[in-house]
Amino acid sequence: MDFSFSEQQQDVQNLARQILTEEVSAERQDVVDQQPDRFDKALWAKLAEAGLLGVSIAEKNGGMGFNFTELCFFIEEAGRTVAPIPVIPVLVSAALPIQQFGSVEQQRRLLQPLASGKTLITTAFMEPMGEDPATPLTQARPQGAGYVVNGVKTAVPLAHLSERVLISAKTDNGVVALMINPRAEGVTLVPLKVTSGEPQSEMRLENVLVATCDVLAGPEQGGELMTWAAQRTIVAYAAMQVGVSDKSMRMTASYTAERQQFGVPIATFQAVGHRAANCFIDVECLKLTAYQAASLLEADVDASTEVEIAKVWAGDVGHRVSFASQHLHGGIGIDKDYPLWRYCLWARHIELTLGSSASTLAKLGEKIAKGEAYVS
Amino acid sequence: MKVEFTPEQEALRTELRAYFDELMTPELRAEVDATPGEGGGELFWQAMDKLGKDGWIGVGWSKERGGRGMTAFEQMIFIEEVMRAGFPFPFLTTESVGPILADNASERMRDLLVPKILEGKLIMAIAYSEPGSGTDLASLTTTAIRDGDEWVIKGQKIFTSLAQHADYVWIAARTNQDPAVKKHKGISIFLVPTTAEGYDRTPIHTLGDVTTNATYYDNVRIPADHLVGELDAGWKLITSQLNRERLSLVNCGPVSQLLNETMQWADKNHYTNGKRVLDEPWVQMNLAKVRVGIEALKLMCYKQAWSITNDKLEMADASAAKVYGTEFFIEAYRLLAEVLGQVANEHLDSKGVQLRGRLEMMYRTASIITFGGGANEIQRDIISAAGLWMPRASR
Repeated sequence: MDFSFSEQQQDVQNLARQILTEEVSAERQDVVDQQPDRFDKALWAKLAEAGLLGVSIAEKNGGMGFNFTELCFFIEEAGRTVAPIPVIPVLVSAALPIQQFGSVEQQRRLLQPLASGKTLITTAFMEPMGEDPATPLTQARPQGAGYVVNGVKTAVPLAHLSERVLISAKTDNGVVALMINPRAEGVTLVPLKVTSGEPQSEMRLENVLVATCDVLAGPEQGGELMTWAAQRTIVAYAAMQVGVSDKSMRMTASYTAERQQFGVPIATFQAVGHRAANCFIDVECLKLTAYQAASLLEADVDASTEVEIAKVWAGDVGHRVSFASQHLHGGIGIDKDYPLWRYCLWARHIELTLGSSASTLAKLGEKIAKGEAYVS
Repeated sequence: MKVEFTPEQEALRTELRAYFDELMTPELRAEVDATPGEGGGELFWQAMDKLGKDGWIGVGWSKERGGRGMTAFEQMIFIEEVMRAGFPFPFLTTESVGPILADNASERMRDLLVPKILEGKLIMAIAYSEPGSGTDLASLTTTAIRDGDEWVIKGQKIFTSLAQHADYVWIAARTNQDPAVKKHKGISIFLVPTTAEGYDRTPIHTLGDVTTNATYYDNVRIPADHLVGELDAGWKLITSQLNRERLSLVNCGPVSQLLNETMQWADKNHYTNGKRVLDEPWVQMNLAKVRVGIEALKLMCYKQAWSITNDKLEMADASAAKVYGTEFFIEAYRLLAEVLGQVANEHLDSKGVQLRGRLEMMYRTASIITFGGGANEIQRDIISAAGLWMPRASR
């Protein structure tokens, strides 16, 4: 057991923190907010230049070749600044499965431009009423060496700006993982307006042709790929929630130390200090469970229980810390001239992405019923 | 960062689990179940003797002191297993007070007591609290006054647990009455033999059936070398003792064992309609919530044991684990008791008792440690001040 950070992990953390705190100012966020998309392209380019987009992309594919934990540290920092960049859908949900399951040709073609920030590849894990990408309703019918796809995906981040969208679809022989060109014939993107401001779309697929070169995994491996990718995505969101909730808690601690009522800083009221202390405990629980899951996934051991546990903490802690922070700030917490509101929106975004606390607990409960989740 | 046991740690845990499986005979289990948390019976002392002979007492003590020289991390693995097994191991004596005594007692007392502790033949009771001093320990009024070659101790302590089995009391007393000296700088630690003249105790019977004691010191005279450490410097010993104690208090061994046993129970038992308990969605939900909570506690303890080993223990983290763990236990016992239903109210001696009455007992004892070891309100004060740099009210 080792809770220290390696030099490499610290380097990634420091580099990410430095660039993000320098670049993501309130003014800059406001400018991005005025644009049709919540996506800071200049920041993305800067992160690419620093090599951070390729943190866990192999060196042969133009990245740094580091591990999943390093990527999570970068994502935690993105959460700490609620930076308007699609780190998870692109760098985790899409890039990691391409690297793990894609052919050499696909890796070369797709990852290098992604790591250098030239292209985005996003992921469509959700369907209306469907939160598990390993069991899609969307159908794929083999045609030649490729597929014809029909179905609906929802909550697709940045689809209209992406080269490809990674989706799952079912065939008679199993689930396949395909890369959809969002500009292909038969694809309709309907923009959604969502809490976090992330530019999302509903993506309707009507007889969309997918060429062989865009088949990431056939029916023998597609389901496994989707579960593999979803687990990493969930843990990456938990890491992001660490950054989001830690920062909003610390913002709250500073604010209450300054804000005076009845002639004293409100932080000196035990009722205030104790609610903040509860947040501290919550954030610690989230941090430990998130990084345990990251560490186990990196070691490539079966970690589905630990991933579910991290997901429940990410949802619960995001919710509790968000509302405690708002409450302790009073009116200023909801004032859009003060940055807290952005954190609250992202905490919520993460809470409900890829399954809620309740649905995840139910999944874990089913596993318990099968005798598969004893405490070691 | 690697949040996994090393193969050596895994092997130690496996070895210990097998060891305690064998140690905990049904007879010993029945004896210790009858006196919750206390030990002190004949079979208990036999087991302590065996633990001493097998070298399991003082896992984290240095080899020079007669221990195994393992780190705080291995020590925590040991505590987790001993607690999971349900053996009332006197860890306050062996893991908390013991090493501090070994480092700070006079040479004569060290040579006299340390071997007995490591042989499993000596238990110490800790006397800090007084009727007027609990979490605000610095306000204690029991005095120790030097008289020639002796110290004269006068006062009353409360909640002196294990004093009924103890050979010595590790007691905090005021040695400096100068009002100009800060309250916590005038306290020293002494060793009072329970055989000393003027020492007396009366039992306090608690809600959880655990017996604790009020102890009385009516001009008890003890030799000068029964002072531990420097005069007036007892506060440091108390705080470092409490840091070690807190980590043991929230060890996740017992609750993990209880969850596993409840899951097995729910697997085997059926409702009158024939349905397996474990098939009820609400049962699965309760169990899942406990499972999720335990994982965080486990990691908090692991991180702290790692921090102590690497000399990086943060005050706020220690308090966070104490608050989280003690309050989680209460919630977990409730969620598990709901799974058992009304039988969770049946006492150990009752006819239909399940899971050895653990949940019934836990209900009655769980609140002890939310205030014991430093009230959780004060721990939260520590967290907001030391962990979040929030100013505190002056008091």
